[in-house]
Parts: sequence; C-alpha cells; structure tokens
Amino acid sequence: MLVDNLELIIFSILAFFMLGGAIVMLLSKQTIFSAFGFLITMIGLAGMFALLESRFLAVAQIMVSVGAVVVLSMLTILTVNAQEKNLPKEQFKTLWILFSLGLVSPFTFLLYKVLLTLPNHFAEMETLTAKVTGELLFSKWVLPFETLSILLLSAMLGAIIIAKNRSKGEQS
Amino acid sequence: MSPDLFFLLASLLFSLGLVGVVSRRNLFVVYMSIELMLSSINLILATLSKLLGDGSGSVMALLLIAVIAAEAALFLAIIVHLYRENRTVDSDTFNDLSEVK
Repeated sequence: MLVDNLELIIFSILAFFMLGGAIVMLLSKQTIFSAFGFLITMIGLAGMFALLESRFLAVAQIMVSVGAVVVLSMLTILTVNAQEKNLPKEQFKTLWILFSLGLVSPFTFLLYKVLLTLPNHFAEMETLTAKVTGELLFSKWVLPFETLSILLLSAMLGAIIIAKNRSKGEQS
Repeated sequence: MSPDLFFLLASLLFSLGLVGVVSRRNLFVVYMSIELMLSSINLILATLSKLLGDGSGSVMALLLIAVIAAEAALFLAIIVHLYRENRTVDSDTFNDLSEVK
C-alpha cells in the first residue's frame, strides 16, 4: 500500500514537471527558454522510464536525449543566436495555441480512449536491467539494431553535407 | 498504480507537441515539438512493455531514441542552413518551393 502511494506521488511530481516543461516550451518567446522547458520534460521522461522498471531505458534517455539531443539543440540555439528582429513576430500566439488546442483535444481524447482498451493492470515482470535489454537487443531485435546503425551513419553524413559552409562561388 | 495514468500523460504530451507544430512559427520550437511527440510514443512503448511483462517494448523504445537522435541531427543541420541563407527562423519565410507566394 505504502509503495503504491509512493509510486503515485512520484508519478504526480514527474507528470507535473513534464507537462509544465511542455507548456513552457510552447509559450515562451525566447527560444532558449523553450529549450529549458524541453530539457525538464526529457528529464521527467527518464524518471517515468525508471518508474516503469525500464532501468536501462532510463539511463539511455538521460545519456542520449538529455545529454546529446537537448545539449546539441541548446548549442545550436546559442550559436544561431537569433536576435529579436529575426525571431518570428507571433502577435496572436496565445490565441493560436488555444485555437489549435481546441482542434487537437478530440484527437487526444480518442488516443486516450483507444489506449484504455488495453488491459488495466501491470503484469509481473523482472526489472529490465542492461543484461535483459542487451540479450533481447542482440537476439530478437538484432536486424532493426543493425539497420539503425546504417540510418545513424546516413543521418550523420546528411547533416554534415547540409550544414557545410558553401562559398558563394560554387553554389550554383 | 494503473497504466491509465501513463497513457493519459502520453496522450497529453503528444497533443501538446501537435499543438506546437501547428501553432508556433519559430523553427526551433517546431523541432522540439516533434521531439516531444516522438518521446510521448516512447512513453507509451515503455508502458506497454510493463503492461505485457515483455522487454520488447522497452527495446523498441531504445531503438526509437536512436531514431530521435538521427532526426535531431538532420533537423538542426537544416535549421542552421536555412538561417545562414535567410537570417531568420520564421517558418513562414521559407516558401521557395511554393507556387503561392
């Protein structure tokens, strides 16, 4: 009973921070504050993974999503360093957000209802440590894993080619 | 602790990401909203993994994290490229391929 309540309390705190971070991300004008909201959401998501006993996934989330993706986007935001005049003028931003929230809310309800058709209780399972996850990854999921390495390689090459600084002369 | 709460949180996060894609014009915010939608799918996968008592959902989420990383690299490269050309991060200005100007 106590453990159940504790889980619920931890879930509530994490969910509060995640939703708050997402809303800050949506509403703030300065891009770097959006990135901070996004960072909070990602850290909260790692906590959720830990709560769901996917221990290795939580560590991977912290390392990849928080440590690499968010830091990379923050670095890009700071490098681009868009001034106030280069940011889009979004005069009716709040209005637009409320309007699209109204548009999206039936879809949210539908998604939630569809997910509710699944069984309503968690199954008993062992904690997904690195050992369990690694055994699954290299037996059942080895083909997606290898395909993913090709995807990452091509994404890396594509990113380098897109962002490469071309001089004006050789552009045409 | 029931899975419903996790599903509710995941649907809320997904729709917040969708709202960001639809209503904001700052390219960085659009990018982070797409990441948020992908991450909410990750949460659903991890919940399903515990619901079914099977590690496969967790492994799938792990693979999806790598896809998110690849997407982040490409999207940020595109943003840097577009900013270098046009000096703005307003998504409305990028209509080179559009017929309606």
